Amino acid sequence: MKALSLYQDNGTLIHRVDPISKLLYIAAAIFIPVVLTGFTAGLAMLGLSLMLLVLARVLRKVVPLIGFSMLVLISVVIIQGLFYAGNRQVMFALGGVHFYREGLLFSAAICVRVLNILCAFALLVLTTRPSDLIESLVRQGLSPHFGYVLSSVLQIIPQMTGTMETITDAQRSRGMETEGSLMVRLRAFLPLIGPVVMNSLVSTRERSLALEVRAFSSRAQKTFLNEERVSTSNRVIKIVLLAAMAAAVAWRVVS
Amino acid sequence: MNKIEIRNLVFHYTAGEPILNDISLAFDARSTAIIGQNGAGKTTFVKLLKGLLKPVGGDVVINGINTSDATVAALARHIGLVFQNPNDQIFKNKVLDEVMFGPLNIGQSQDEARERADAALAMVGLAGRINDNPYDLSLSERKLISIASIVAMNTEIIIFDEPTIAQDFSGKEHIKAIIRDLVAQGKLVLTIIHDMDFVAETFERTLVFAQGRVLLDGSTREVFAEEEVLRQAHLEPPHVTQLAHRTGLPGTPLTVEEFVREKRAQGAMRPVTP
Repeated sequence: MKALSLYQDNGTLIHRVDPISKLLYIAAAIFIPVVLTGFTAGLAMLGLSLMLLVLARVLRKVVPLIGFSMLVLISVVIIQGLFYAGNRQVMFALGGVHFYREGLLFSAAICVRVLNILCAFALLVLTTRPSDLIESLVRQGLSPHFGYVLSSVLQIIPQMTGTMETITDAQRSRGMETEGSLMVRLRAFLPLIGPVVMNSLVSTRERSLALEVRAFSSRAQKTFLNEERVSTSNRVIKIVLLAAMAAAVAWRVVS
Repeated sequence: MNKIEIRNLVFHYTAGEPILNDISLAFDARSTAIIGQNGAGKTTFVKLLKGLLKPVGGDVVINGINTSDATVAALARHIGLVFQNPNDQIFKNKVLDEVMFGPLNIGQSQDEARERADAALAMVGLAGRINDNPYDLSLSERKLISIASIVAMNTEIIIFDEPTIAQDFSGKEHIKAIIRDLVAQGKLVLTIIHDMDFVAETFERTLVFAQGRVLLDGSTREVFAEEEVLRQAHLEPPHVTQLAHRTGLPGTPLTVEEFVREKRAQGAMRPVTP
């Protein structure tokens, strides 16, 4: 079934790393640059993330994400460059508007941080099947109920979009205009939303029945459909990431 | 005049993955069933007739109107489509209001819409329930509401998408009677359907779709005689036709009555006397 996901099934080495390691990687990518202030750590982390994205052959999918965040980041650069409280030293002027060094540096730091977080998350989202991620979280102790809620949301949204399309078609087939002025659209609202709500109520009840006949709320210890993949390499990755974070803290304390 | 003309129709959602490949067809007044495996392009074809999708190549002409030049709402006064799931359209609190929604949309006056809705509801056998809430009725009754709501629009062409789904025997008989009634009124009735027995008993002409093409087109009897070609499209003739074939009966009986008549003529079955 179609699910709401950015997952790219490329089957690379990165795809085989377990989801928990990737979550830990996100934590490290955020944590290390925060502990080690300055540009070097942030840029290094960003470089590493980009390299991993290339390895996973998903870099092309990251571009639109970065493009979208650029919209926000550029406005940050402009505003901080012009109005940052600590602005002293003029760097350049554009048509009589002065950009200051301090503000530009400050905004550059924000940009690196945002891109860093974005790339780290992209690495998880683009290379992990959502159901795998949820399954490993449940294995780590997340409540199965909550896990179900997470994964069902991802499936229900595309399903609702599909229902919505069918309903729109059904009402247009009965001569209802759905495009045009605001008034036309307002009038179309009730005939469209009515069946959507009724369908959702009906399918919710059916879904809960289907879950209950499969002992969803049983308190017994649950088993998993897939066997847990335990590999030394995954353990090594986790240890390295934890060690790197610890090292960053140690460095900060010592220096 | 042909009510529907299709010339060199080509359609795809994604370029390079054709759904319909160069289809040319005309629909006259004969009731027509469109059969084929899932994914053969039946639903897409019907959506193109209805104007819900526009052709990538070629033309679909409904009553002289090219669907590419008309909105779905404008086409709605010429061609009606009964959707598979009645829950996809029902939103009014009263059966009567639900049935009058379409007629009012296509510009019938309040009185005319009321009259047509009453007639359509009488036709499907729900005349006594016009003030009920549609969701208090059973699913098969809601299906009848959705049929009535299209019939009341008084279009010349009516398409049924899987009319027999979730219907028991008497429900099917009821829908069969409705379709015959519509044909008798001179309307063109089309359907996409998987129930071969229903096709054999109800429709004059049958089209077989396979991989985006029309594999067979002819009278229902001719089509169901082509067992080999049907198998290519992963379809089977109606049960009674298969039985006739296996018991060595010549010809292609389409209904149980025909089968019994043929058998008796052959002298193999004695009339049952009580």
